[in-house]
Amino acid sequence: MALSSHTTSTGFLLPSIHSAPPFFTKQPNPITNSTATEQWIRLISEYARFKRLFYLRIDDCEATGNDWDEILRNERINRRLLPTYLSYIIETMIEKGLAEYEPPKQTRSVILYWRAPEEWAEALHGWVVSTGRLNTIMTFYEITEPEIESPLSGIPLPLLRKCISILAKTNRSQIIAIPDGEGARFFARSTLQ
Amino acid sequence: MGGNQSVPKITAQDRAILDLKLQRDKVKQYQKQIQSVLDREQAIAKSFLAAGQKDRALTALRRRKYQQSLLVKTDGQLENLEQLVSSIEFSLIEVSVLHGLKQGNEVLKEIHKEMNIESVERLLEETAEAREYQREIDDMLANNLTLEDEEVVQAELLALQADQLKAPVKVPEQEQKEANKLPSVPTTEPHSTEPAKEERITIPA
Repeated sequence: MALSSHTTSTGFLLPSIHSAPPFFTKQPNPITNSTATEQWIRLISEYARFKRLFYLRIDDCEATGNDWDEILRNERINRRLLPTYLSYIIETMIEKGLAEYEPPKQTRSVILYWRAPEEWAEALHGWVVSTGRLNTIMTFYEITEPEIESPLSGIPLPLLRKCISILAKTNRSQIIAIPDGEGARFFARSTLQ
Repeated sequence: MGGNQSVPKITAQDRAILDLKLQRDKVKQYQKQIQSVLDREQAIAKSFLAAGQKDRALTALRRRKYQQSLLVKTDGQLENLEQLVSSIEFSLIEVSVLHGLKQGNEVLKEIHKEMNIESVERLLEETAEAREYQREIDDMLANNLTLEDEEVVQAELLALQADQLKAPVKVPEQEQKEANKLPSVPTTEPHSTEPAKEERITIPA
């Protein structure tokens, strides 16, 4: 049977390997396994970028009706990704810095970095500059749910925090905390770096 | 964070602004919540109506109306909060403008301190004095020459002038260029005037 790529109802192009039944189980041969895992990682990252998904849970391959249905299962060949294999893929992604357990100290849910946190940090700073909000105190809500959609709309708080602390290393941000919540303030790039 | 020299300190003012903005966010979130309730009540009313339960649909719609009134109220509150935030931020800008003016003023004062009128007057006086002094020296030097010396000097000058007349006169470049230029054709009828005589100017030594 010839394998063919498939476009999902949401317009995402699945690679032809997604129609191969062995793709859904962990391969015993280490070389085959590393190639297949590589493909899975690319597929997951691309899909997450496509749909702006930030979290992946082991649960997502166990139950239907979530954001990941289209890629973690293939009804046309009656296959689904098994939880053990997914957790192996996730471990590999963490090794490569493409994901991180979130919340930490558990292994069933990860935050995906289809864009490196450093890039997110730059995007955040760029957005702050372009909307003229340097030196203004902003709430986290203001950043993640802006009235006009921004490249940062909907980014999870842990990632936002990470971005802010990355920018803080170059003195471009500062977190302000009060009992009621937190906010941040951003500064122009210092010329003294 | 903290201990960083180049980021400004967080003041009580900053915290107050953050607090205000967090309140504003809460109102916004509350509005979102009401909006979802509104949508839900409408769906409920629709399904009751479909099931033929007109009273219950009416109750749902009444609840919806109430929530709607809340939404309008929160809109007003949100407006107040946002106005407050804007005016605080605007005042902060004004403060920084004032600060800038103050600093500029101080610099100007500092400069003026160094440049007060008395010292300028004194400086000018001193310059005038120095010039006077120089003139006196010149006079003295000129007077020091004896009559004999003066005659010798004059004679030297004459000799130099004579030399210059004998030597082939070097036409300065500027004049040479003008000489190469042909005169333009006269446009008017010539009428007799005295012939233009070429005048050779003796170049002073």
